Amino acid sequence: MIKFDRRQLLATSAAFAFIASIPRVALAAEHETLRVGIGGETGDLDLLQNVSTLSSYTVVFDALIHYGPGGKLEPGLATAWNIAGDGKSISFDLREGVTFSDGTPFDADAAEWNLKRWMGVADFSWIGIADAYESIVKDAPNKITIKLKRPVPAALLELTIVRPVRFLSPKAVDGSGKQTAPIGTGPWIVEKYSSTETILVRNDKYWGEKPAFSRMELKVVPDELARANALRAGELDVIGGDWVAPLSPRRAKALEGEGMVIVAEPGTATTILGYSPKSPVMQDKAVREAIFRGIDRAAIATVLFEGFADPTVDIFPTTVPTAGTRHEIPARDVAAAQAALTAAGWTGGGGGWTKDGKALEIDFLVSEESFPGSRRIAEMIQGMLTEVGLKVNISSVDNATMHERRPAFQYDLTFFATYGAPYDPHGSLGASFVTASDTGPDGKIYISDELDPLVQKALETGGDAREAAMQAVYDWLATNVTACPLVVTKRLWAVNPRVKGFSLPATDYDLPFKGITLG
Amino acid sequence: MKLGRLPWAILSPAITFVLIGIFAPLLMTHDTAQQDYGALLQGPSASHWLGTDYLGRDMWSRIIGGARTSLVAMVFVLAAALVIGVVIGSLAGYIGGITEMALISVIDIMLALPSLVIALALMGVFSGENFTWMSDYWKMILALTLAWWANYARMSRAVVVSELQQPYIEAARVMGASHIWIFVRHILPHVLGLVVVYASADAGALVLAIATLSFLGLGVAPPVPEWGQMLVDGMSYIEEYPSLVIIPGLALTAVVVSFNLLGEAFALQKVPKAIRGSLLRRKKAERAAEDEARRRVEAGA
Repeated sequence: MIKFDRRQLLATSAAFAFIASIPRVALAAEHETLRVGIGGETGDLDLLQNVSTLSSYTVVFDALIHYGPGGKLEPGLATAWNIAGDGKSISFDLREGVTFSDGTPFDADAAEWNLKRWMGVADFSWIGIADAYESIVKDAPNKITIKLKRPVPAALLELTIVRPVRFLSPKAVDGSGKQTAPIGTGPWIVEKYSSTETILVRNDKYWGEKPAFSRMELKVVPDELARANALRAGELDVIGGDWVAPLSPRRAKALEGEGMVIVAEPGTATTILGYSPKSPVMQDKAVREAIFRGIDRAAIATVLFEGFADPTVDIFPTTVPTAGTRHEIPARDVAAAQAALTAAGWTGGGGGWTKDGKALEIDFLVSEESFPGSRRIAEMIQGMLTEVGLKVNISSVDNATMHERRPAFQYDLTFFATYGAPYDPHGSLGASFVTASDTGPDGKIYISDELDPLVQKALETGGDAREAAMQAVYDWLATNVTACPLVVTKRLWAVNPRVKGFSLPATDYDLPFKGITLG
Repeated sequence: MKLGRLPWAILSPAITFVLIGIFAPLLMTHDTAQQDYGALLQGPSASHWLGTDYLGRDMWSRIIGGARTSLVAMVFVLAAALVIGVVIGSLAGYIGGITEMALISVIDIMLALPSLVIALALMGVFSGENFTWMSDYWKMILALTLAWWANYARMSRAVVVSELQQPYIEAARVMGASHIWIFVRHILPHVLGLVVVYASADAGALVLAIATLSFLGLGVAPPVPEWGQMLVDGMSYIEEYPSLVIIPGLALTAVVVSFNLLGEAFALQKVPKAIRGSLLRRKKAERAAEDEARRRVEAGA
């Protein structure tokens, strides 16, 4: 006969209760964890180093101002701000009661310490407000004013960008000022990171609306097809985002047919075919015009982007502020393209064109490594321009060669993309259309002595006059056919149906988590 | 060479590849670059025997065109690499001394690195502004040639050194034959005999290297059809339209395997023989006939 004393009975009951709870614990863990696919490891999230992936910063670190949907500025660590009449000082009311995740209070001292790490520093002169920085005044324990040498109309937008403007705990640096840990005030805390994944846990001290789940796993899956398969297998919940884990239109279509939720919204970056301003053949406006008219943008959007792109002839889409008035997208017109060439003195037709005994040949610089999918777009454009009679030679090169040839304008045609929100329009205009700017390997879309003062004026003009000044730039670019905008690709994400309430973050540099609940 | 009684079926992909490459313009049903947005990603039909790709281009014509692209590049690279290799290797072996040491060092350096890595590096160099006058196709041929000659040089030198030690060479010298005469008449045939055999096996590897460079986006420039490029372009559609990958993949596999078998056949002075079916029966019959003949001879003796 089996005898149970009270102690044994209790122990056995406890053991059974524990075993019974295991599936429930596992289920609860699943309900509390969002698994997001990322294309590359996040890195250490050093705010002053251009190494870590941008999207991961946004959930750990806050900015003074956040970029909301449609470019609306939303309070972040600053609850209110005011720009002085002369545009040379901006005061901020800092959010009270905020602490970094290590317990350090966020106040005027912490704000000043953070801002001085990059404002007035030469490495960050590409940010207008950093270049124009003069001083910081602490008006009160929770109020600061940034003094500038000159007005920077895009200053508030610049304060929404990811790196280096976000705020780090002053205690998270070593003696030399180097960041030692990613400690911010954001909704998530980095628990650990490695080359294969980064684990984030909810910051329960977060000042804003807290995430509905407690854990986020960022899984590194470099290959796009592998990411899609992981989503299908239920190993990932969310994939997508140009700066998180790019999802191709073709793959999105396939996933949509298999019951995954595809979220596609108008994008903020434009894919542009750039004409080299230094190329002799591209100096001829008629050639630029012929290319502009000879391309079927709608076909590109449909055939190569599966409809997940909007044809455009404007430099910036309406999803970024002060993008200018819209120009009508002309239908592809081979005859008009050929007429433009004929009017400019070129002779020939569909079989080729010559002028002064020289054949019209165009060098199309493409790097699949720099811009995935670009060779197929180039091939399609090549086919279209061949019908116009333009001989297009595609030079397919590696990343290093592209980085060498593009800044030196050693091409006739090549692809560019605008930066998108929250960097545009000031970011792309100030970098890609200004002769004196340093864009490194990215090159420039178009530069000219005539364009420089227009851009400078637009970037320096604030208030109500800003829109008109911007429009003057856009009109000049369009009138002189200086670039050939093609499409604005949609922002694409694929989501497992167990993820409820998914909505796209404001920019492609943000990770999605707001409003999400897990089924 | 005893190359009679070949099971040509095994080598037919290589032969077909060469024939298709030569007669490609006659076999193509469509312009390989002609895009048709109304006929995207279609399956096989009477008008498009192997269907169409993502730009509505005819897959059959592009496969045929790809064979020609690979064949022409392969022939140029093999011929050029063979000439360079034989000249350098022969010079090294024939002249000897410091010249041999210097040339062997260069050959060893080239052999120390995989040919494809050298070709990739050279393609990077040729991508620069100074080489824009050359098309990507010829850049690829030049890069592969410069990466491919070292093996031929090594073999050539070995043969030359070996032959120079033969008594008949000394006899020729004693009879007053010039160096040119000795080399061309007595040594070169031996060198060519070996390197041509090696080249026949190398052809498959070269077709694969051409496809690899194109797969990496560094080979043939669009719209020229090339199998490696067709493979990489089809990768985006592999889930829904696997034929875009399978067709060029099969063509590539068949040609590479076939050239390898051909090379082996030349090298071993025999051809791979199937041991089933009619061949097996014929072989058994031959052996039986030989045994019968032997028995008769023995019986007669």
